[in-house]
Amino acid sequence: MTRPLTLLALSTLLLTPAAHAQGATSVRLGFFPNLTHAPALVGLERGTFQKALGGVKLEPKEFVSGTTLTEAFGAGQIDIAYIGPGPAINAATRGMPLQMIAGASEAGAVLIARGDSGIRSYKDLAGKRVAVPSLGNTQDISLRHILKDEGLKAQTDGGTVNVTPVAPADVLAAFATRRVDATLVPEPWGAALEAQGHRLVGTEKTVWRDGAYPTTVVIVNTRFAAQNPALVAAFLKAHGEAVAFLTSKPAAASAVVNRKLEELTGQKLNPRVLQRAMSRTRFTTGLDLAALTEYAALNVEAGYARGATDLTPFVNVGYQKR
Amino acid sequence: MTTTSLDAPAPVRRPSRWRTLGWQLLGLAVLLAVWWLVTDVLRLYPPYVFPSPRAVWTEISYGLWGSGPQDGRLLAGIGNSLRRVLVGYSIAVLLGGVVGLLMGAWRPLRETLGAYLTGVQSVPSIAFVPFAILFFGLNERAVLFVVILEGFIPVALAVSGALMNVPPALRVAGRTLGAGGLALTTGVLLPSAVPSILTGLRTAWSFSWRALVGAELLVSASASLGAQLEIGRNTANIALVIATILTIGVIGGLFDTLLRALETRVRRDYGLEVTQ
Repeated sequence: MTRPLTLLALSTLLLTPAAHAQGATSVRLGFFPNLTHAPALVGLERGTFQKALGGVKLEPKEFVSGTTLTEAFGAGQIDIAYIGPGPAINAATRGMPLQMIAGASEAGAVLIARGDSGIRSYKDLAGKRVAVPSLGNTQDISLRHILKDEGLKAQTDGGTVNVTPVAPADVLAAFATRRVDATLVPEPWGAALEAQGHRLVGTEKTVWRDGAYPTTVVIVNTRFAAQNPALVAAFLKAHGEAVAFLTSKPAAASAVVNRKLEELTGQKLNPRVLQRAMSRTRFTTGLDLAALTEYAALNVEAGYARGATDLTPFVNVGYQKR
Repeated sequence: MTTTSLDAPAPVRRPSRWRTLGWQLLGLAVLLAVWWLVTDVLRLYPPYVFPSPRAVWTEISYGLWGSGPQDGRLLAGIGNSLRRVLVGYSIAVLLGGVVGLLMGAWRPLRETLGAYLTGVQSVPSIAFVPFAILFFGLNERAVLFVVILEGFIPVALAVSGALMNVPPALRVAGRTLGAGGLALTTGVLLPSAVPSILTGLRTAWSFSWRALVGAELLVSASASLGAQLEIGRNTANIALVIATILTIGVIGGLFDTLLRALETRVRRDYGLEVTQ
């Protein structure tokens, strides 16, 4: 009796990839619980994505850093993801089958110093311990660029600044136990630290390019996109709706974001804190190739990649226009 | 000491050193050929999952003598990691030696602390890192703590065990000849325990080295082999990860070979190993 059942189960397992090739039965979406990923949070919380995908099931997967997301992507476990441009560029240039198909947010990262650390400007970072979400991520690359402008260097490059990876959600605890002196962190964690009395040293505008730089982009697995162009276009339409909601009704949107953040991280943010974080983040579907190219150059400058890379093959906004 | 007595182990015929080296080089060549075949020729895996030997060699060469931005990080990492492990290992050997002597000399300590140390030794070193970070901070002291903790236990256990295993006849002979207390320990017991202690030192080295890389992976403050692994992982640079793993293996193996040569020499001098 059990044998036919086992065979059936086995054949289902074996047939699933084939079914995927003809048209996906699910979309596996990667994202982080950060405000810079707000379009993902909104789209999930309001059911926008699932509605756009119709009968195809949305499978959201939460990550804490671009590193683990990239690993899952490389292992073929993620179809579409919200991710920082740093990991996206690294993964693409290493040959992972991915394309950046839309923007999600710009700016939205600030440099906060512990109230009693004595840090008042970027120069004061000399000899201090500065947290970034992970080595080689978007904020780490920005920080190394800031340090270079100030004539400083990270310890890993023979300088005095101790750049250390701390997950954004753990930064509040790291400040409380005085394990780090400052952090370049995506929102809403920057606003949350500021609300606890810590000092805003670098605003989203002084971090880089007057704030006109991508912080989160939408990437897709190239093979998945080639096989399911309509699904990708439908997803992007929902993404656009989420971005429009965030920009046109910020107050209502911040309540939605807060609900989802609380569900994911167990922390409910003060609405005023969240609003401040929102005001420092710009939501958009646009992708600025010039800014991305400058990012790639910063990545080389930070020693995480070699040689200039032409990003044109990795950027494809065509799915947005379908 | 080439004399053979009746109760000495039977002489072992060793293959010539050059012949062994030849086989080892051949093995390495075969391994590289298979690796090259799987990656460059058959392309069984995408390069971001399993890179070719050439890509890994590129990372090693950039890391050791490259001239681009931030090149030479591997060399700096090797320097920092070696410095840390040598400091940590030295402290571990001193501390382990003292604790081992005390445990060997005093039974209650041996039966309490000795048992606990065996328990602590069974905990993977990486499990102590979060505690070390909270206690010392995200810094080098946290790394050293884990290295010392891992290194000192095998030394302490080896020293106390070696003292316990000294043949009673030697002890009696020492006493008969008038040695007692400290003189018996330093003049008779310790010298006869040297071969076992050396084995403990070699174990301690490999424990310390593994603990170091594990701790550095989580506390990636300055350039180090652990930080290299983390950077490789974060930047989807699997070639860098493999290059670093190879470096860790080669350095660990080199030191182990040195210690093993010392151990063999001492065992030979003690008549425990007889070669033709």
